[in-house]
Amino acid sequence: MSKTNASSAGHTLWSKMPKANAELFALTYGSLVTELIRDYSSVSEVNAQLDRLGHSIGVRLVDEFLSKADLLNVNVPACTNLRDTAEVLAKIGFRMFLGVTCDVANFSADGNSFSLYLYENPLAIFVELPPEEERDERILYSNVYCGVIRGALEQVNLRVECRFVR
Amino acid sequence: MGFLNLFIVNQSGGLIHHRPLGARAPNIGTNDWLRIGSTFHSIHAIAPAAAPVKLPGNMLDNGAEDGIYEIEGAGLLLKCLQTRTGIKFVVTAEPGTPDIDTALKEIYVLYADGALKNPFYELEMPIRCEMFTQGIDALIERLDKASSYSKSR
Repeated sequence: MSKTNASSAGHTLWSKMPKANAELFALTYGSLVTELIRDYSSVSEVNAQLDRLGHSIGVRLVDEFLSKADLLNVNVPACTNLRDTAEVLAKIGFRMFLGVTCDVANFSADGNSFSLYLYENPLAIFVELPPEEERDERILYSNVYCGVIRGALEQVNLRVECRFVR
Repeated sequence: MGFLNLFIVNQSGGLIHHRPLGARAPNIGTNDWLRIGSTFHSIHAIAPAAAPVKLPGNMLDNGAEDGIYEIEGAGLLLKCLQTRTGIKFVVTAEPGTPDIDTALKEIYVLYADGALKNPFYELEMPIRCEMFTQGIDALIERLDKASSYSKSR
């Protein structure tokens, strides 16, 4: 599918979605992560919980995505390969729900993996993470995104693994 | 005018919702409903094998699985919306009822907003969500009103 098609589809869907206050959203998520950090002793547990949360969101989100696209006659054609899926995810999915632009890059040679570049992260607008120290694992603050992507694609029969690289 | 029943079948073929949509809807017992739901699921899955035209990969253009999407009979019109996640929304209506496809799409949106966003609703379980039921009531009222305006013209 053409790049302009996907961007305009994303834009149309974004304009029809009900909007929430960005700060409320970021701060609510922040307090959620803070609670998780207080509840769990290890950082990897927190990351796993965020991923699980994201997964539950993702399995429901995909139906909302598909139903609203259908209702507004926005054409989200079937993805024949991973490249199409990546385009739909980045240009329509992220745009529709978060209003952010997202780029796809780094397609592997066998076409089995790719990278998504998020230029703005609406969840982390007020966040500062503590310095690394000797922690062997860092807090993946926005790990919920990974879960959402994994859950959503699972509902349309595509098993993926998603993780933060940088 | 004309809408009779709605039933929703989940990805595994179990019936998760059924309700009458109009005054003329026939009264069907719960057990019969469950049977109808699973029978429809199975027939929907087998139908592409019997179809004269086979789509590549058994998929429609939009990626949903191919299957029965309309049955027209002497006193009945049945339409099915198969989503890409595998859920089927099926509406029966009297022949000549307008806008069934739009109604199906709106019911899908109502499902996403009313049932899925309900944190107490578990996926693939029977839908018992207030928002969803009220949404469908409002939708049917709106469609009835719209079609009665066009009839009286």
